[in-house]
Amino acid sequence: MTYSSEAAQEKRRSFLDPRTKLALVIVLALFVLGGLGGEMMEPIKRVLSVLPFLMLLAERQWKRFFRGLLMLGVGYGLLFVMPYLHGVLNFLALMCGGILTRFVVTIVMGEYLIATTTVSEFISAMERLHMPQAITIPMSVMFRLFPTIVEEWRAIRRAMGMRGIRLGGNRAGEVLEYQMVPMMTSSVRIGEELSASALTRGLGSPVRRTNICRIGFRVQDGILLLLCAATFASWLLELCGVKLW
Amino acid sequence: MVELKDVSFRYGSENAETQHQNSLRNVNLRIPTGEFILLTGPSGCGKTTILRLINGLIPQFYPGEIQGEILIDGQSVSNRELYDTARLVGTVFQNPRSQFYNVDTTGELAFGCENKGMQAEEIYRRIDGTVQHLHIEALMDRNIFRLSDGEKQKIACASVSVAEPDIILLDEPSANLDYEATLALRDVILRWKEQGKTILAAEHRIAYLWDLIDRAVILRDGQIVRELRGAEKDGLSIADLAAMGLRSTVQEAPAKLDLPAFQEGDEAIELYDFHFSYRGTGREIIRIDSLTLASGEITAIVGANGIGKTSFLNCLCGLEKRCKGMLRYKGKTYGRKARQRLCFMVMQDTGNQLFTESVLDEVLISLPKGTESAREKAVEILRQLDLDDLLDRHPQSLSGGQKQRLAIACAIASGREILLLDEPTSGLDYGHMMQTAELLRQVQRMGITVLVVTHDSELIRACCGRMLALTAPT
Repeated sequence: MTYSSEAAQEKRRSFLDPRTKLALVIVLALFVLGGLGGEMMEPIKRVLSVLPFLMLLAERQWKRFFRGLLMLGVGYGLLFVMPYLHGVLNFLALMCGGILTRFVVTIVMGEYLIATTTVSEFISAMERLHMPQAITIPMSVMFRLFPTIVEEWRAIRRAMGMRGIRLGGNRAGEVLEYQMVPMMTSSVRIGEELSASALTRGLGSPVRRTNICRIGFRVQDGILLLLCAATFASWLLELCGVKLW
Repeated sequence: MVELKDVSFRYGSENAETQHQNSLRNVNLRIPTGEFILLTGPSGCGKTTILRLINGLIPQFYPGEIQGEILIDGQSVSNRELYDTARLVGTVFQNPRSQFYNVDTTGELAFGCENKGMQAEEIYRRIDGTVQHLHIEALMDRNIFRLSDGEKQKIACASVSVAEPDIILLDEPSANLDYEATLALRDVILRWKEQGKTILAAEHRIAYLWDLIDRAVILRDGQIVRELRGAEKDGLSIADLAAMGLRSTVQEAPAKLDLPAFQEGDEAIELYDFHFSYRGTGREIIRIDSLTLASGEITAIVGANGIGKTSFLNCLCGLEKRCKGMLRYKGKTYGRKARQRLCFMVMQDTGNQLFTESVLDEVLISLPKGTESAREKAVEILRQLDLDDLLDRHPQSLSGGQKQRLAIACAIASGREILLLDEPTSGLDYGHMMQTAELLRQVQRMGITVLVVTHDSELIRACCGRMLALTAPT
């Protein structure tokens, strides 16, 4: 059978529109991570915290789902054993548990956004939000810069191990400094080469960009965006002193 | 038609050394539509600079001082915006790791057309056409980070094809490719030639396209020193080429060279139970139950892109925790941790393994702890490798060849007995390749066993006495 890019794009269409994903990341960051809102918001926050995990299930991202769940489990576990511990251990358990339970949900949502959104979908979504190119382009570069930097980082760690420079080995004190030197040189070089390549392919043109990806709001987007709006609304109501329950 | 009229150029860098390198002096070149031209010459001769002048990266991205005119169909390129030039000119770059904007392959193919504002239906049609044309169905809708270098370079070519520019520039596209992948690249270029594209390729490895080109332009120190075409081009001997600092024009598969992996009289390095698979794939890419290598020799390790040559080196060095193989050498058995102190690897990206602020310091940290008169020893090693006049230079500011030399100096300083190299001659011209070969022989004379992963038949001919061909486990 001959390949059809149109059919392939339709098939790999994500469960949610990138704009919905972005809205969810913002809401989670503000309310769950940032701790905005008082007691009345607690039940809403609990609902919000479940969402990223549901999304991962919907996209069949099993590995990310279980990893997130495990981190969250460790966090609550630490908070649970915390009262039985003394001294430094008590403090450590409180700190790690607190950080994990707060951060994990939002990080999982961010991971979900990055893992299930192609660069093309992201740019397309930002354009529909009328974001200027000056914001869209640097943000879209992030999508590929992070994996690139992770790859470089691994290669450098490997090289250090091979050279016998490690904690507890030759010159342990300088390990961090030694990692940064090649990291910076190669990041600068890769950044430069990436820009050169993108520019020779017409990035930055004043012509209105088109996109081959399929995005757009569907029922599930509507429901989740309503939920986001409801979160903001109840927060405002709480600020005004209205009690819903 | 592309024309360079009396073009001179200097990069606008403060560093006088880099300013002189890659600059151009009074270059005149006329390339009629549909011609395929090879630009070649020693490193730093200015061939990449010519490509950058044509695709507009100079002066828009790499500033400098231009004299003369660069014209495409009679219109000047230098004053034009890059996105306008992008409609006429497509470029395939050398480094497959840093020329993609997208993370998925399909998005990457569409990228150029999307930037032009082309309708989605037309982009789909073009992608499907290119995919069929280049037989890359299996590469579509994939994560680019999971492709081999050869596959990445195919995607880079395909994304140029989809944009359908009239002029195609190739900047050392084969530098990271093995023999098979260069043949695939050759096929792609052949198709472009049939479509009547104007093609300019800057290359050191000239063998795979020597019979396709209309003209070879040979540069040295920023000037065109010779132009070859027709019978004159075909009649050149390998000695003539070497005299001009050029690589061989004979395409030779490394696997065809007839060298033993081990022969009677060699002292043995034995490997047992080397098995390795990438995490999560479950498919073993290395499956070596037992293997014998020759100690004290230079052994070439060959095999296609993606067969696991680099993984094999990593396992051998003890860098892969999940590889449980054992190595026997001079009556002793080495496990993973012990191998880390027996082997030293010079990686493909040598810059990633140099960490300190000076050349001398780099060698000092490699010497075993508690070495007496360490400084003298380090200077002596650097002197043997002709690096003693660079003692205080920052390692990251060295040229590629010097970095390689420095990494080998570190290997010697560390006292390890097996030296591994990963593609030491990719992207090197004839002169530098021969220097690397000589360096390897020098290391061998110090009693160090050298294993070199390479796809460079000329390097193998120049210095390797043994060869190991890796094949995929069945």
